[in-house]
Amino acid sequence: MSQAFTKSMARNIFFGGATFFFLLLVALSFDTMQVLPKRDHRENITDAVARGKNVWEKNDCIGCHTLLGEGAYYAPELGNVYKRRGGEFVKAWIKSRPAEGTPGNRRQMPQFNLTDQELDDMVAFLKWTGEINTNNWPPNIEG
Amino acid sequence: MTTQSLTIDAHEPGTPPGDLAIWFFIFAELLAFGIFFGSYAFARAHNVELFNQSQLMLNRASGAVNALVLITSSYFVVRAVAAIKQGLSRQCANWLGAAIALGGVFIVIKLFEFHAKFSAGISLSTNTFYMFYLSLTIFHFMHVILGMVILAFVMAKARSGGYSIEHHTGVETGASYWHMVDLVWIILFPLVYVIR
Amino acid sequence: MQYKSQAVAKPYFIAAIGLFVGQILFGLIMGLQYVVGDFLFPAIPFNVARMVHTNLLIVWLLFGFMGAAYYMIPEESESELFSPKLALAMFWIFLVAGALTIVGYLTVPYAALAKMTFNDLWPTMGREFLEQPLITKLGIVVVALAFLFNISLTILKGRKTSISLVLLLGLWGLAVFFLFSFYNPSNLVLDKYFWWWTVHLWVEGVWELILGSLLAFVLIKVTGVDREIIEKWLYMIIAMTLITGIIGTGHHYYWIGTPEYWQWFGSVFSALEPIPFFMMTVFAFNMVNRRRREHPNKAATLWALGTGVMSFLGAGVWGFLHTLAPVNFYTHGTQITAAHGHMAFYGAYVMVVLTIISYAMPMLRGRAANSGKAQVMEMWAFWIMTVSIVFITLFLTAAGILQVWLQRVSTTPLGFMAAQDQVALFYWLREITGVLFLVGLVTYVASFFVGGETKEAA
Repeated sequence: MSQAFTKSMARNIFFGGATFFFLLLVALSFDTMQVLPKRDHRENITDAVARGKNVWEKNDCIGCHTLLGEGAYYAPELGNVYKRRGGEFVKAWIKSRPAEGTPGNRRQMPQFNLTDQELDDMVAFLKWTGEINTNNWPPNIEG
Repeated sequence: MTTQSLTIDAHEPGTPPGDLAIWFFIFAELLAFGIFFGSYAFARAHNVELFNQSQLMLNRASGAVNALVLITSSYFVVRAVAAIKQGLSRQCANWLGAAIALGGVFIVIKLFEFHAKFSAGISLSTNTFYMFYLSLTIFHFMHVILGMVILAFVMAKARSGGYSIEHHTGVETGASYWHMVDLVWIILFPLVYVIR
Repeated sequence: MQYKSQAVAKPYFIAAIGLFVGQILFGLIMGLQYVVGDFLFPAIPFNVARMVHTNLLIVWLLFGFMGAAYYMIPEESESELFSPKLALAMFWIFLVAGALTIVGYLTVPYAALAKMTFNDLWPTMGREFLEQPLITKLGIVVVALAFLFNISLTILKGRKTSISLVLLLGLWGLAVFFLFSFYNPSNLVLDKYFWWWTVHLWVEGVWELILGSLLAFVLIKVTGVDREIIEKWLYMIIAMTLITGIIGTGHHYYWIGTPEYWQWFGSVFSALEPIPFFMMTVFAFNMVNRRRREHPNKAATLWALGTGVMSFLGAGVWGFLHTLAPVNFYTHGTQITAAHGHMAFYGAYVMVVLTIISYAMPMLRGRAANSGKAQVMEMWAFWIMTVSIVFITLFLTAAGILQVWLQRVSTTPLGFMAAQDQVALFYWLREITGVLFLVGLVTYVASFFVGGETKEAA
């Protein structure tokens, strides 16, 4: 009787299993791609929203904040900030950050010197983000 | 994963037939299915009404036929193992061929069933019941295909005389996997199609 | 050292350790900024420090992986490296490109850096862990391809072992899945969906192949257990890793706009993800118990066992802690995630790179093992760093649980900043433990400079 546990069988299971489950991931992703338009409301991605995402990225906002729970955990969740604070507040807040920081040892947000156009775009992006169907996450408005 | 299991001869009592490696795979697969079944029960308990209603839309006849098909194919696989234990390579390959053919029957019946569901506009996102129904049956469906691929390799090797009375771990390994695929359906079918 | 060309691994290992020190220093800056918010502001805002902290981690681990491959592959293939010169050239290119990127982060505002590097032509920057300018990303691809070319050809001309096959698969996978970092649509949901194909399929997929093969290599060397046995367990463990981990990607698809069924797929499969880590721990201990020789390098053995245990705790247990969708609903994006991240990265990837360095570095310096004195010091470093990371994780977990309670569960939820103020104590404790980690790291570096009697390498 040959050995009951062989390397070649272990190898076959590795390759077979990996291929099998990768195919399953591809199949599920395919289904996800079909369903997503109904959940992300991509028809509402205007030029302003797209530009806003770019502003978001260019200033590395994800380095402090979370967006739909992903990012750094240093500053508040912004996926629902449009609902929590409203667009005007967001703009005023970003604009009013002092370049040298606020007094006291509070956590600091830099002054990014955004133009009015960039601020509007950012708000459009955050508003659209807030309308994504996230299965009711976050648990409450505080994010 | 004891030291013994690495060295013990497969025919000593207390060790599973076939290669130990396949049993790790079977263990993982059964765990995944098991947790999925548990989740099904959990989700159903929270929404009995919906589950019962949606369940009525399933084609129980095709599910039952498929159960018979798989059980029969499992029997053929048993015959294949018995054949190779007597050194009958040719018979072994034939039995495996018959089992694979029945696997094919399962696939065809299942495709009809899926086609009917998909053309009725049912998808993973229709409701929780259909999410489970489709996930479980498609996941199992993929296992049937994988099982057929494994049996086909074993059959080809058997046909070319690659196994003998002394060396036929490969046949037992493939057979073990196929029985797992069968077993899962025997649980899946009553759970999702019948039990109310 | 059996092959001359293995020597190219040395600069890679030295760079890895150097960047590791940098990573920890920036970690301490961030840790302090958590409680003393204006520390170093506006010179180094938190987001910049974080970018440097995480990017340095990734880069030094890549240096470690590449060094490991350059060390292992000639020995596994029983053949000199295809081109040591190419390996050395790539080292300098990668180091300079990496250093320039970090300097860019630290000296120019990020938006200006984006502009300078023509990010608008093909925006890829500003996404977590993938903050590198386009040109750096392209540089990474070029270095990776040259590296893979070099390694693959070496394997092709020599002996083909399972360990080198698995390592090669892992490294190729690393390069292939990195390509998703170039895909950045304006639809945030799609962006996030495929962002995970780089991030998750790296750390819970192909990187684990690299981890497995490094560990297997060192175990063969220090235990003398039959290669056949070690290699079949290697295959079994990484098979389990991918069987559970690939669909485990679903645990990132609960709340980012993706369909609900991911909550079931993600929960079921990621609940199984601890299994391969558990197997790895049992495997490592089993092999060491069945050792056929007493290798003089005790420190390397300790690191190897540590990798098993700590990756099981960090990736397995702490991952499971918040991977089920109903739990994750509350813990998603909190300090719980940070706790898991720290222990998992340390336990799996930091420790495995330190394992191979611990084994290979003495060889590269012409001896089978360091002197007893040096090894004792290295083992002190092991314990200080490992205990520190355990406590960092525990403090962050405590902070996370409190945060979840105050901000998300309570009937009168606090705002984010108000909740953060309430858990400041734990951030202080974390920072103190972080300093202790640095002490461990300094001890580690110092252990390289301890002399004493050593035996010539065989």
